[in-house]
Amino acid sequence: MASVALKSFVGLRQSSTENHRSSIASLTKPLSSTQIHYRRLNVVAGKSSPKVTGRNLRVAVIGGGPAGGAAAETLAKGGVETILIERKMDNAKPCGGAIPLCMVGEFDLPLDIIDRRVTKMKMISPSNVAVDIGRTLKPHEYIGMVRREILDAYLRDRASAAGATIINGLFVKMDKPTEKYKPYVIHYNSYDGKAGSAGKKVSIEVDAVIGADGANSRVAKSIDAGDYEYAIAFQERIKIPADKMQYYEDLAEMYVGDDVSPDFYGWVFPKCDHVAVGTGTVTHKPDIKKFQLATRLRARDKILGGKIIRVEAHPIPEHPRPRRLAERVALVGDAAGYVTKCSGEGIYFAAKSGRMCAESIVEGSENGKRMVEEADLRKYLEKWDKTYWPTYKVLDVLQKVFYRSNPAREAFVEMCADEYVQKMTFDSYLYKKVAPGNPLEDLKLAVNTIGSLVRANALRKEMAKI
Amino acid sequence: MSSSMALFSSTTPHLSSFSSSSAKTHLPNNPFLSFKPQRHLLSGSFRATENGSGAGILVEENKAPEPKEASTGNGAPVADDVADSLLKFEDPKWVSGTWDLKQFQKDGTTDWDAVIDAEVKRRKWLQDTPESSNNDFPVVFDTSIIPWWAWMKRFHLPEAELLNGRAAMVGFFMAYFVDSLTGVGLVDQMGNFFCKTLLFVAVAGVLLIRKNEDYDNLKKLLDETTFYDKQWQATWQDEKKKE
Repeated sequence: MASVALKSFVGLRQSSTENHRSSIASLTKPLSSTQIHYRRLNVVAGKSSPKVTGRNLRVAVIGGGPAGGAAAETLAKGGVETILIERKMDNAKPCGGAIPLCMVGEFDLPLDIIDRRVTKMKMISPSNVAVDIGRTLKPHEYIGMVRREILDAYLRDRASAAGATIINGLFVKMDKPTEKYKPYVIHYNSYDGKAGSAGKKVSIEVDAVIGADGANSRVAKSIDAGDYEYAIAFQERIKIPADKMQYYEDLAEMYVGDDVSPDFYGWVFPKCDHVAVGTGTVTHKPDIKKFQLATRLRARDKILGGKIIRVEAHPIPEHPRPRRLAERVALVGDAAGYVTKCSGEGIYFAAKSGRMCAESIVEGSENGKRMVEEADLRKYLEKWDKTYWPTYKVLDVLQKVFYRSNPAREAFVEMCADEYVQKMTFDSYLYKKVAPGNPLEDLKLAVNTIGSLVRANALRKEMAKI
Repeated sequence: MSSSMALFSSTTPHLSSFSSSSAKTHLPNNPFLSFKPQRHLLSGSFRATENGSGAGILVEENKAPEPKEASTGNGAPVADDVADSLLKFEDPKWVSGTWDLKQFQKDGTTDWDAVIDAEVKRRKWLQDTPESSNNDFPVVFDTSIIPWWAWMKRFHLPEAELLNGRAAMVGFFMAYFVDSLTGVGLVDQMGNFFCKTLLFVAVAGVLLIRKNEDYDNLKKLLDETTFYDKQWQATWQDEKKKE
């Protein structure tokens, strides 16, 4: 559909439409690469990008994890021609696998992809003071533990059902356009289901790209997005005897201490029929095996008799990349670096950012009819930063205060025993909103925190003397 | 005395073997060097402190029937034997995961200083030789059971005394010095706005900067608080540059 000339409101005059303009009527010229001015009846800021003729907007989503799957689904539903490129369809990713309650609702996840519902957590301090948290949870609240291969496949299948094309291939490189509205050329190796082959080289033209290809994102490299600091998370999956597994039925553990990690925590998370015991670090990566041994030592009595069935490791970004957006290429999920500090949570933020980016493309392209511009994609960044900045900042502060040293960790575990803390923590984790609490309680909390920190540090000074 | 050994199994996670030894044998604490899975009758003792608290017990377990197998080449086969030789923290005053305050009585009241000392020793012990956390013997000690004035008396007051003493000495000589130079007496000095400001700055300075390192620490802290913000804003600097 080429140009459309709307009749002016003045009357049904036969206007030779080409240069007719009024504040109400709209006029379009055939698609050219020059800009076209255009005003609409709706109260929308003037869009200056050209209409896309003969087809809908084409967007490539590189990477088929939660971020890619969510983005592809939203794009496809919004009328955009979507291509999702994923290199390994059955990838069982090493991952904690925890999703907050709000993700189940927001992404309409069926309950059967959740292996376990964690409703209790145990925090264990360096001196083995153990505190149970989860008393304040309501019966319908839980942290969902999923298998990544199941979740990722489900989101991709939904995207496919909405109309996206899922391609098994490896993104190799991207040619940037030389002129303003020219397409990007994506080069990838198509595997076509043949295992082990190098793949067939394919090139496609797309108008915009969403980089959802994870921590070692190639899309990020091709747009010079810059680097980030990252943590190494190392994890062993251990199959433990049934009676020990009973204890971990709906409980996850967090171990803190210098022995377990100098800047992160060690964990025991229950999976479908085994537990994942792991730890992570940013600053002391070469010592990760030592930390893992220490974690296993601290959990030893509870995982006694277990067999290690898998060993895995993966990087976790610590902060967003310096550039998350360049022209019509945007990064989402781990590729952008949207992992929170303190808890290292990434699945929900990946899926949400994929969705938000896709929404901004759909909106900016008016359901696939117009070309998008960088400004449209920047709206996604704006919305993201505004919505989730408080969450990220609060977790950053918590990490800086409580993961500093052993006394800080002791204070952290002591504070976790407080019911108000538990309620605030779970509320903000499960619903991803930093809810303002009761100011009086906040004051009490602040006083207690300072007290705990002072006491723990005083003990540490004494420890240094003996 | 002969000592008895209990096999570490999944049903009886806690074992105790006491031994008295006349000779203090110090055993290597380094778990990474232990390679011996067979049973051993060994005794060890933790260095005795002034009040004779704390006796370490060496535990050896036979892990052969329940090995941890690594399906892939686990680069540290010694990992299986990490927990084989282990000293656990034991103390007669440490009862069911907390300090038994009844045992810290002195002249009818609890000797909080001794409680603090005991906890310091326990934490130091665990820092050097971390232990497994156990559900049957949970640790529930909370430092807030020690009242605030005990903490004040022990930690805050000595430092406060030191700083106040220094401030007093400096203050006296500054007052004398200013008086000798300008003839303004102490009472008139206090009335002057400039002097009041100087006094305020001096008090604040002493509170914040007590050692030379504190100045750098404060600067680092300030950078730290804004660093994360800068990392998030980085993508927006791009846009500003373009405009």
